[in-house]
Amino acid sequence: MTMVLKRGEDVADQVHRPVPLLNVDQLCIDIGARNASVRIVDKVSFTLGKGERVALVGESGSGKSVTAQALMRLNPRVRLSGRVDFDGADLLQLSAGQMAALRGSRIGMVFQDPMSSLDPLMTIGDQVAETLRIRGIGRQEARRRALEVLDELKVERAVERLESYPHEFSGGMRQRVVLAMALVGEPDLLIADEPTTALDVRVQERVLDLLDEISRRRGLAVLLITHDMGIVAGFADRVMVMYSGRIVEENEAAQLFREPQHPYTRGLLEAVPRADRTVDRLPSINGAPPLPSSRPKGCHFHPRCDRATGVCSAETPGETFTPLGGRVRCHLYGAG
Amino acid sequence: MSYLRLVGQRLVMMVLTLWGLATLVFIMIKLIPGDEAQVAAGAGATAEQVAQVTKRLGLDQPIPLQYLNFLGRLLRGDLGTSVVSSKPVLTELAAVLPSTLELMVFASILGVLLAFPAALVAATFRGKVVDGVSRLVAVMGGAMPTFWLALMLQYFLGSVLRITPITGQHSFGVSAPSITGMPTVDALLAGNLSAFFDALAYLILPAFVFAVPFASQVYRILRATLLGVLASDLVLPVLAKGASTRRIVLRHALPNSLAPTVSLIGTLVGGMVGGAILIETVFARRGVGGYLANSVALKDTYAVLGAVMFVGVTVCVVNLVADIATLMLDPRVRGTQFRSGAK
Amino acid sequence: MTAGLQTAIRRIARFSAYELTVFAVVVALFLVALVGPLLAPPSIYTSNMLETLMPPSADHWLGTDDQGRDIAWRLVAGAQLSLLATMLVVILYSAIGMLVATLATVGPRWADELLMRISDIGLSLPGLVVALGIATVLGPSLQSGIIALALTGWPMTARILRTTMRQTMEQSFVEGATVLGVSRTRLMLKHVLPNSLDVLIVKWAGDLSYTMLILAGLSFIGVGAQPPSPEWGAMISGARSYTSIAWWAVAAPGAAIVINAVAFALLADILQVHRDPSLRS
Repeated sequence: MTMVLKRGEDVADQVHRPVPLLNVDQLCIDIGARNASVRIVDKVSFTLGKGERVALVGESGSGKSVTAQALMRLNPRVRLSGRVDFDGADLLQLSAGQMAALRGSRIGMVFQDPMSSLDPLMTIGDQVAETLRIRGIGRQEARRRALEVLDELKVERAVERLESYPHEFSGGMRQRVVLAMALVGEPDLLIADEPTTALDVRVQERVLDLLDEISRRRGLAVLLITHDMGIVAGFADRVMVMYSGRIVEENEAAQLFREPQHPYTRGLLEAVPRADRTVDRLPSINGAPPLPSSRPKGCHFHPRCDRATGVCSAETPGETFTPLGGRVRCHLYGAG
Repeated sequence: MSYLRLVGQRLVMMVLTLWGLATLVFIMIKLIPGDEAQVAAGAGATAEQVAQVTKRLGLDQPIPLQYLNFLGRLLRGDLGTSVVSSKPVLTELAAVLPSTLELMVFASILGVLLAFPAALVAATFRGKVVDGVSRLVAVMGGAMPTFWLALMLQYFLGSVLRITPITGQHSFGVSAPSITGMPTVDALLAGNLSAFFDALAYLILPAFVFAVPFASQVYRILRATLLGVLASDLVLPVLAKGASTRRIVLRHALPNSLAPTVSLIGTLVGGMVGGAILIETVFARRGVGGYLANSVALKDTYAVLGAVMFVGVTVCVVNLVADIATLMLDPRVRGTQFRSGAK
Repeated sequence: MTAGLQTAIRRIARFSAYELTVFAVVVALFLVALVGPLLAPPSIYTSNMLETLMPPSADHWLGTDDQGRDIAWRLVAGAQLSLLATMLVVILYSAIGMLVATLATVGPRWADELLMRISDIGLSLPGLVVALGIATVLGPSLQSGIIALALTGWPMTARILRTTMRQTMEQSFVEGATVLGVSRTRLMLKHVLPNSLDVLIVKWAGDLSYTMLILAGLSFIGVGAQPPSPEWGAMISGARSYTSIAWWAVAAPGAAIVINAVAFALLADILQVHRDPSLRS
């Protein structure tokens, strides 16, 4: 309890200029044999402060989930390069054992489908407590803390629920259990990969509100991965827009929604009123994002962009810092 | 769907299966060349005896009626009479069944002990050398005629190296009085440890030979299911908790792979009653298989068909037990029975 | 011409060295079975009491049996019998299975239900034991063994094929074909059957492996091929009584069975992986 309070105070002090917790620098992700490898994520850089809530938004296939998994080194089939500094250590240089020790205790992660994320044959209590049991915490203590987290997540009759199996829960309840599994280790950073996509709209809101509340109380930094601009607005402090393996725009949430710079961001925002339907393809932008193996030269977005010029198909746009405090990767804003 | 209903479905299926088998056996009896009454009464029977058998089996009645009579006799436990011994087939089989069960139980335990560790290691180190080697061994184990393996092991371990007995179930004069019909259990019941180890020594080779193809199949399905679970969405969240591969395999993949594996084990154990023919012949052991093979050799067709029916029943019962066990493993099914009040 | 050659080469290049080795072994086994009996000297069918139970040597690579017959040559001569009988069993029960599956697919709903129930019943019966019963009734011979196994082996094929056939029938291109007025027969021949064959070929390799073992088992019990036939199961059965003085007479035919059964099992694995690449490790 004191832990939580102390963290809360820390955040109150640093609310204006967050201390960096995560610093991703030129992260590249490649897949396939070395002689025939395909780059799925290309030189992605960003920072995340303590207690800060940042959204990474993009269509499916943009590389956002791969990026999220790369931060925790969960996918052994991809090759990672660049740096991922977390609290002073480069995660990409850690041994497998050191990395496993960080997972669950310093960085928690929540996945899209709460049904398939849970082991159907293990009780809810055991699954939530597992994060602690792995670290040698006793059965009683682990159970007590699992109960605390379930209470914190407003799971009703949590004591009885500990002995239940996933199939006895509704979708929203399952997602709370999945959240509990990620939060029980009291991590500093939570990576939430499409945490509400599989849920219906009202349940979505409730789960996000809950996450919002916990994040503020605990001073927990959250990286929210989503394709749905609609859920970002009320939650994130800062938004990064990813397209085809690159971050194309980043800004404070309020600024980004008020004045989107990149044509792709604009298209995304025009699609927001349709948030009641979870469509993966955006009706307001023609065409579909390219496959990683057949991405066009220059700006990856130019074939779908209505403002594209000759330079867009020839050169990859560099990053430009905008007067609004953000950054954008688009030739429309290039200095020269 | 409720648990009891699922079990009920399996029961109905089992009755249907046995009815199908009974019909098949009836057709086979009708296909036996020669006069049926003469065959049933034995080659040396007098005309009077043949007439008696004709009357007893109702062979003078029309075929559909004979069929119903046949089913009725089966329901009363009459599997026919051995021409050679003149004893009811059921009595003779019931006497030797425990010995077969003993062999099956030992072989299954041995097979599980061989297959499970191998499959777990192979799935954990997929694509590595251990995986490849264990897969090759499993393929070879599955592609080996059991009777041949038995003969080879008998020769090399029994005759040449003299470390295992060759045939039989116990050494001459070393045996406990028969209570259950299983030499190892009988020895334990009598508190005779030397007889127990003696019987165990005789059991080890046949059980091993029996376990080889069994383990090969169990290994294959367990490895495949484990890999399936390890490729599912279940793994990332557990990995994200900080779990090791070892923990994921043992705590999550293994329980989730158990249902299909137990189901297969049930089928295989059922099939063992059939496979016992070869093993029990080679090792000269008492048992259902040995009885069948012996009846074949003596051309005691009625005994063979009675035993076929008997084995069918045994297999179906084993399968039913395995089905129920599989259902019990799944809380989604189990829950409806034990937790119906909870929700 | 050269283009065809190129695609052929490219297709072969897709297979690994290990896979090509397995293919080569399988082809070699079939070749031996095909020409074996023509090459074998007539002496393997007659007794030579001067050379009985000789251990393996330069003259007799795998030794001789109790009749002084060369075991290696008997294996070669028996390859045809063993492999042919195995193939015959698989072909026969596949044909039955195909017929049942076709009837279940094109027939009325109740026929489908009935045939699949019968298949289920067949599947839960102990195949070896039922085959033993049938073979006993028919009288012990290789033909009896073949018939018995053909009559007990079909249910699995019927079930698998029926599933494939139904799926193919429901696929959109087939629906399109029926709308266009293509006849049912033509539909079966052009679409459903080829798809089913695709499924069957993978199954056949595994079936050959398994059937060879079962057939040898029947011979060993005495209801299949009878000595002095050079069928491998019968050879083991015949040599069993003198294992302790001439173990090679038992070891050699068994090894021949193992080599064949392993080769077919590995072939089945390879074909399976090529159908479903997700199984590749």
